[in-house]
Amino acid sequence: MNDLLTTSLFKFHQDQNSKMIEFAGWQMPFSYDGTIKEHNYVRTASGFFDVSHMGRIYIENKEIVNLNKLICSDLINLDNTKALYSVFTNEEGNALDDVIFWKFDSHIILICNAINRVKITRHLLNNNITHKDVTFDTSLIAIQGPQAIELTKQLLDTPEKFSTNHNETFTYARTGYTGEDGLEIMYENQHTDKVIDFLNQNKIKPCGLASRDTLRLEASLPLYGFELSEKISPVEANLKWIITNTEEYLGKNKIEAQIATGKHKYIKKFTLKSKRIPRTGTIVKSGTTSGVVTSGNYSPVLEKSIGFALFDSLPESDLIEFDIRGNLLEGQIIKKRFLS
Amino acid sequence: MTDKKYLETHEWYSITENNITVGISDFAQGELGDIVFVTLPNVGDEFSKGDSMVEIEATKTVAEAYAPMDCVITEINSELDSQPEIINSDPCGSGWIVKASINNLDDTGMTYQEYESFIS
Repeated sequence: MNDLLTTSLFKFHQDQNSKMIEFAGWQMPFSYDGTIKEHNYVRTASGFFDVSHMGRIYIENKEIVNLNKLICSDLINLDNTKALYSVFTNEEGNALDDVIFWKFDSHIILICNAINRVKITRHLLNNNITHKDVTFDTSLIAIQGPQAIELTKQLLDTPEKFSTNHNETFTYARTGYTGEDGLEIMYENQHTDKVIDFLNQNKIKPCGLASRDTLRLEASLPLYGFELSEKISPVEANLKWIITNTEEYLGKNKIEAQIATGKHKYIKKFTLKSKRIPRTGTIVKSGTTSGVVTSGNYSPVLEKSIGFALFDSLPESDLIEFDIRGNLLEGQIIKKRFLS
Repeated sequence: MTDKKYLETHEWYSITENNITVGISDFAQGELGDIVFVTLPNVGDEFSKGDSMVEIEATKTVAEAYAPMDCVITEINSELDSQPEIINSDPCGSGWIVKASINNLDDTGMTYQEYESFIS
């Protein structure tokens, strides 16, 4: 793994004997104490994730009109203290990436998936949007869990939910990818030792990418490359709520046609009562409608298998059947989030 | 009871008279991550060497445990129904998976030392 990129917390991960994996060209922590333990730290107390592999791109606000032409959400009318989840669309209305924007008075921080950082910076360049990729100069950690806000108060002023803030050292927002309250905090790499001291002193446990995945799945959140891709639109991914851009943007006509006709693929959430987990790629049927599992895993809170499946069209029935290694197993499409 | 022997598919077995106890190795449980479900065979099920006997679902992936030799299941570790994580915490002890009577003795598994060098 010698030619992989490493984050400013790499030595910390090694010192913790974390299991490391390759992810999008980075050497990242998979788990420290075990996936379910880490999952439960975040659900019951607090945990932190090194997500410095994610792209961080600085864009001045004067670029906002052009930037708004590339995403399905309204960034222009967003308050300068807010964070926004959105999708960069292609001409087909499908997802180039799902991202978070942190908006400030003078600039925007765009946080994109590690796997799409090069694609997104090229896309910005091709659309004459001046930007600066600050991924390698900065770090990003997510502190998440019911105790996260109380614990971080000594470090920074807490913004409202889905709002941004900054001080001399930290640029941050009250956002995350776990379904819990918490903050995502960006800082220049030189401050990493100070941040690690703070996390250690407050007994905020390190959590790896494995628990990040079980947490996001349980929180009903999509993952790029699975529930969203250049073949899947935000409408299909059940993200109609983020389509707020009333101006022209790439793929808008396709997206509006999908909304108007309902003729498109559908990502649906499912649960099943079985000792088997439908993994990515498992074939599923709803009557005569075919689908394929995009993500599936065990929910530590619900203590059963959960996941997302992509159906070719609107599923005929909420009762679905998986073919798991030759065993036909019954599952259920659910409309509500996995966790209430 | 004989010393445990190991298979290339990461099961261990030990022999007591005409019976075997089977589990998965510490290395295997570590590779699987948190084990959340175990699908066990029924007492009386008959397997040939190499047949899949058990399905182990973990947060990271799914794995099967294979019969080390021809055998008939005589006992299953029903604790694993409610506490599959025992395989993570004690894979070579209380995390045993099945016991079976031997139909055709085939004690060709690796010793611990051989298995250690196999996985390293």
